Amino acid sequence: MKLELRDLRHVYARGTPFEVEALRGVSLVVEPKEVLAIVGGTGSGKSTLVQHMNLLLVPTSGQVLVDGADATTLRRSELRRRVGLVFQFPESALFAPTVEEDVAFAPRQLGLDEEEVRERVRQSLRALGAGHLAGRSPFALSGGEKRRAAIAGVLAMRPEVLVVDEPTAGLDPLSREELLDLILGLRESGVSVVLVSHDLDEVAEVADRVCVLHEGRVSAVGTPAEVFYGDPTQAPATVRVTSLLRGSRPEIGDPVRSQETLDALRALQGT
Amino acid sequence: MQNPGEWTRPGGSFAVSCERVSYSYPGSGRPALSEVSLDLRQGEYVGVVGPNGGGKSTLVRLLNGLLRPESGRVLVTGRDPATEPFEVRKHLGVLFQNPENGLVAPFVEDDVAFGLENLGVPREEMLGRVARAVRAVGLEGYERREPHTLSGGEKQRVALAGLLAVEPEILVLDEPTSMLDTAGRREVLEYLKDLHSEKTVLHVTHHLEELTGADRILVLNGGELVADETPERFFSNADLLRENRLVLPVVPRLALKLGFPPAKLSTPEELAEAILARTQSGTRSR
Amino acid sequence: MTTRGLGQFYPLSSPVHALDPRAKLLATAVFVVGLFLVDSTMGLLFVAASLVALVVVSRIPAGTFLRLLRPVLFIVALTLLFQVFFSREGVTLFEWGFLEVHSGGLRLGFFLALRLLLLVSSAGLLTATTAPVALADGIEDLLSPLKRVRFPAHEVAMMMTIALRFIPTLGEEAEKIKGAQAARGADFTEGGPLRRARSFLPVLIPLTVGAFRRADELADAMESRGYRGGEGRTRYRELRFRVSDALALSLTLFLLVVGILL
Repeated sequence: MKLELRDLRHVYARGTPFEVEALRGVSLVVEPKEVLAIVGGTGSGKSTLVQHMNLLLVPTSGQVLVDGADATTLRRSELRRRVGLVFQFPESALFAPTVEEDVAFAPRQLGLDEEEVRERVRQSLRALGAGHLAGRSPFALSGGEKRRAAIAGVLAMRPEVLVVDEPTAGLDPLSREELLDLILGLRESGVSVVLVSHDLDEVAEVADRVCVLHEGRVSAVGTPAEVFYGDPTQAPATVRVTSLLRGSRPEIGDPVRSQETLDALRALQGT
Repeated sequence: MQNPGEWTRPGGSFAVSCERVSYSYPGSGRPALSEVSLDLRQGEYVGVVGPNGGGKSTLVRLLNGLLRPESGRVLVTGRDPATEPFEVRKHLGVLFQNPENGLVAPFVEDDVAFGLENLGVPREEMLGRVARAVRAVGLEGYERREPHTLSGGEKQRVALAGLLAVEPEILVLDEPTSMLDTAGRREVLEYLKDLHSEKTVLHVTHHLEELTGADRILVLNGGELVADETPERFFSNADLLRENRLVLPVVPRLALKLGFPPAKLSTPEELAEAILARTQSGTRSR
Repeated sequence: MTTRGLGQFYPLSSPVHALDPRAKLLATAVFVVGLFLVDSTMGLLFVAASLVALVVVSRIPAGTFLRLLRPVLFIVALTLLFQVFFSREGVTLFEWGFLEVHSGGLRLGFFLALRLLLLVSSAGLLTATTAPVALADGIEDLLSPLKRVRFPAHEVAMMMTIALRFIPTLGEEAEKIKGAQAARGADFTEGGPLRRARSFLPVLIPLTVGAFRRADELADAMESRGYRGGEGRTRYRELRFRVSDALALSLTLFLLVVGILL
């Protein structure tokens, strides 16, 4: 599906002394089968933005369009099935006595029959490499395991767009890599992933497009190369290295991922 | 690096020492720590890494007396944390992973004063120490802020100020940046860096780039101390890294693959410089 | 979105706000006791006028203050109506089928309703003009003589300040969990009261579990920072009893005596 945000504005606490304009006219498109990264510092509006994608938050002005249709005209439950949202530290919302019961929550809310629910639970847990955790209590798991269970819970809805807010926060480096591989795998299977992240190195490895938010506005959007070489001071480590060399050695090109950066640097050294 | 006269109690030439320490959590099958021995000299900066569940957090809690070893001996400035926890905590402060759940008071300055209140420091003296600690972490102006209005990096700095106010010689950092975003991490590390020269620091982390300046890196895996290496040797040992579920950060990894010493080059700027230097001088390898 | 501790504190600068919380706590206690000793309508009206004057001095806007009273309006109205229609004292003013309104009932009704309002208003004024932290400190100080009979005054105060510190945090956490479950299709608005209550389980359970975990981590952090109860502890925040506080207390006492005598 094509998810479009058109000129989105969002004002919190309107009319009170605490009024704050978190989004000041953001327009963005999420294409099918892509990994779109949304980056920006604290206060840039990232979390506010993604909560509009499944209408957990309603825009003060502007539109959210799903395949051209206004999202507010869709049934909420339908929209939330198609656009899955995983919050930061999602494991804090685990509540059922067993992992499989917890993952079953969303499919059950959709009104699916028990057999379908069980199948979805099985598949989602497997996709997250968490099949062996099915019968365990979510409260007895390690941080990384809880994270997987929580994400499986959203994946069980089989969304067309999966929005993940800082999915690797607090994880050890290897679990991080495993999760990023999963994200790439999801894209392969046809799901679009909107990845909100502050970690530019991780964005460099998985994003097809990057959108930079600054103080509630889009300050840049495009391919990782376009965005990061456009402002190498706010770029992943790979780009920061190569951009310092481009002046004297332009043949280095514009690699972003670590493998292509390594190849370019090796070529430069003649090794 | 012994300080004559300091810590003249038995075992007192080290800031921290563990002798064959073991600990198992109640109800757990396997030991969290098994016969671990290590020493920290005064002024050293030592990193501790290893997979989750490998014993790192248990070690931290044994050092400050939250846990008592089943066997073996722990000494901090010559004292046993299990029998003299209050004393030990004057000399050893711990910065925990989750800043949110370490902030106890409704305002920043009150929280920074918490440790001093516990020690019974007179109020007049507290005022100065709190002000100095707040300055040391760059949070002047934040004194009357409420904790829930702060960013992660700011919260962790408040926690750090609270530790510094007590003026311990030893700081134990238990994954202090793992819940922070890039900006927060940078903030906290900046202020931690200043402390290496004055204090003995034990830094538990997953982020190896934080340990490039360490004197040594200890590896805890499965409750055992499996390695004790310099950063240089550690970063170059791919097997050791893999076995312990560790990943080199981007720059050192590139550096290693390009034939540079990985621990010496931790920032993109340093790597770029090294590459330029090499390509200009025309040499292929060093 | 900010949640202000107990939600009723209205930070302003006024002579009432500036008073020591202990003075205010004592004055409120004296007020409440004294209120039950006033038995004439004249006396009660005098006390009411004094309270109104205090609210004016505190600079709290009338509208805000009246809003504080909203939760009790129902009970006050009920009290009034009950007395008006069911008391048989005094002269009959009019009848309407089996409902009779007597002068005595009218008088008593207004008296009781007014007293109730004044009771709640005094508590409201206290919390509106005193920061929650100051209240906790004040309570700790006032209760500390009870330490001699083993009453855990310090622990009670510490519990209060910690609760105050975490209320906004837990509020944010609850919002977040609610959002997460809504994103999974949870609907908190549908069905009757029982169904709706059950739909909150996916929020309450993780919130409670999370709160316990927080408590554990907090306890570790506090212990690590040398906390071992109130023994030997000094305090950073200072409460200083000044002349103005003594004056305020005496004034309260005086006004009440006048009211009782009237």
